[in-house]
Amino acid sequence: MTTLTTPTSSGASAPTARKRRRRSVEGGWKQITINRAFLIPAIVVFVFLFVVPLLQGLYWSFTDFTGYSPEANFIGWDNYVQILNDPSMLSGLTFTLLFAVGTTLLVTCLAIPLAVQLNKAFVGRNVVRSLWFFPAVPSMAILGLVWSYILSPLPSGVLNTLLSNWFGIEAVSWLSDNTLARFSVIMVGVWAQTGWHAVLYLAYLQSIPQEYYEVAKIDGASPRQQFFAITLPLLMPAMVVSSFLLLTNGLKVFDLPYTLTNGGPGFATYTITQSLVVTGVGQGEYGLSSALAVMFTVAVGVIGFTQLRITSRIGRRFA
Amino acid sequence: MTTALWRRTLLSIGMIALALIIGVPLYYIVINTFKTQADMVSSPLGLPETWSFANWSSALGDMSIYQAFGNTLYVTVLAVLAQLLVGAMAAYAMIIARNRTTRILGSLLLVGFIIPPQSTMIPLYRTLVGFELVDSLNGLVIMYMGGAIFCFFLIQGYMRTLPYEVIEAARIDGAGTNQIFWRIVLPLIKPILVTVGVFQTMWVWNDFLLPTVFLSSPQKETIVLQVYSAVSEFTTDWPAFMTITVIALIPMVIFFVFTQRHIVSGLLAGSVKG
Repeated sequence: MTTLTTPTSSGASAPTARKRRRRSVEGGWKQITINRAFLIPAIVVFVFLFVVPLLQGLYWSFTDFTGYSPEANFIGWDNYVQILNDPSMLSGLTFTLLFAVGTTLLVTCLAIPLAVQLNKAFVGRNVVRSLWFFPAVPSMAILGLVWSYILSPLPSGVLNTLLSNWFGIEAVSWLSDNTLARFSVIMVGVWAQTGWHAVLYLAYLQSIPQEYYEVAKIDGASPRQQFFAITLPLLMPAMVVSSFLLLTNGLKVFDLPYTLTNGGPGFATYTITQSLVVTGVGQGEYGLSSALAVMFTVAVGVIGFTQLRITSRIGRRFA
Repeated sequence: MTTALWRRTLLSIGMIALALIIGVPLYYIVINTFKTQADMVSSPLGLPETWSFANWSSALGDMSIYQAFGNTLYVTVLAVLAQLLVGAMAAYAMIIARNRTTRILGSLLLVGFIIPPQSTMIPLYRTLVGFELVDSLNGLVIMYMGGAIFCFFLIQGYMRTLPYEVIEAARIDGAGTNQIFWRIVLPLIKPILVTVGVFQTMWVWNDFLLPTVFLSSPQKETIVLQVYSAVSEFTTDWPAFMTITVIALIPMVIFFVFTQRHIVSGLLAGSVKG
């Protein structure tokens, strides 16, 4: 998404003067040619890394193309039908959606109150902020591996050792039970992202004029009323950005479940991306995996464009 | 006054306690690099009985970790610089020649902004196999070039806020498009280049998906991939694995300390890829 906070009003008053000025800035035909040439690298990147592969994938999704034979026969919607009947791919679809929606809701509900607290003055605030933010810095793949030791379902797993030492609880099968494994992956995702999004909210919080709260206090508004009447509405632009990032990153999730549970137990925490890697690159099923990629692209595209439209609408209202 | 002080102290204690709980996994990996296997299993969170540096010396004595660092550095530097250059050039061209063609091109590029690498991965994999660019660091750099479109959008947003008079004055003084770009525009847009560069660096350095798909030989592994393969290598030796993990995290931590300010300003600009 493009910038939300850029002022759009500047320079709208004299469009003709601006146009003339632009022309003078562009210079003669030679300079215009050089200027056009500046666009070439971006166009090359766009055509060869986006347009061509997207069209190729779309074509393959209707064929039985594999890595092992050069021929590709047109088979209509068969690949799509197969995906909707394949338990592993369906499971990947389900868990990816569950992860995306689950982390979006949980992180949003935790990050806003956290940001409000982090905005208050207290001893050790900078350390606390850094600790919260830190999980966003390293690679999710590495964090997934670390958590796989912590949540290991064996009695020697860190959490299980602590639970039995402190509370005498028997080993919990964190990563070997379907529901618990899904829950664990989402929780680690929330752990990793909450601080980052709290910092995002914090940046917006600090731009709310303090006078609003002073006036509200004079009018006798309780802290609760202030939060719901001032803070929350003014955080709307931040919420749009944050939820967009959470949702699209959630749909793209791969590293964390792959390293934490490797999609297991069974296919409980399998993701669309893992499915793409396994069927497309691992098994060379180009047709089938392309169909999955097309479905995935459409989903991400619809969400992305919807979000962009909402963003610009909200941006206009608050401008 | 005293109640306010009390409240502040309570908030302080509560927030610090909560943050420490969040930080436990980090403490856990660091402290266990100084333990033996037996010590780690018996008390995962305690301090080591005897501080052992054997894990560190064996991890740092293994040459493959330096190789992995070198590979990651090569890919990250090349990919991020190329992304920024391509993005900045396109943004500059669009800003000084705004007409219908560039407007249409701009909205077309939105596709590249939204489409994730997963969508184009399989056809591109097939193409790169044809050009023998699979299992090559340069092939990986090409894959990351898709990020140039993201750079383009952010840089273009920033360029709109630049005063035209500067470019205009340079033009009157006889500077060409090329000269203006390198001598005037690039220095002026330095803040956004740094911010976007920080985000792209974090993405490329930490990425796991593309290296795991496009690289296969051990001597070409990036650092994240190296840590991942260390898991199967040290299935029983957790402290050894933790040590490699910590070594892999150090550059990112240093990077984070120095760029924290730019990350926050990037968040404020309202657009991050995460």
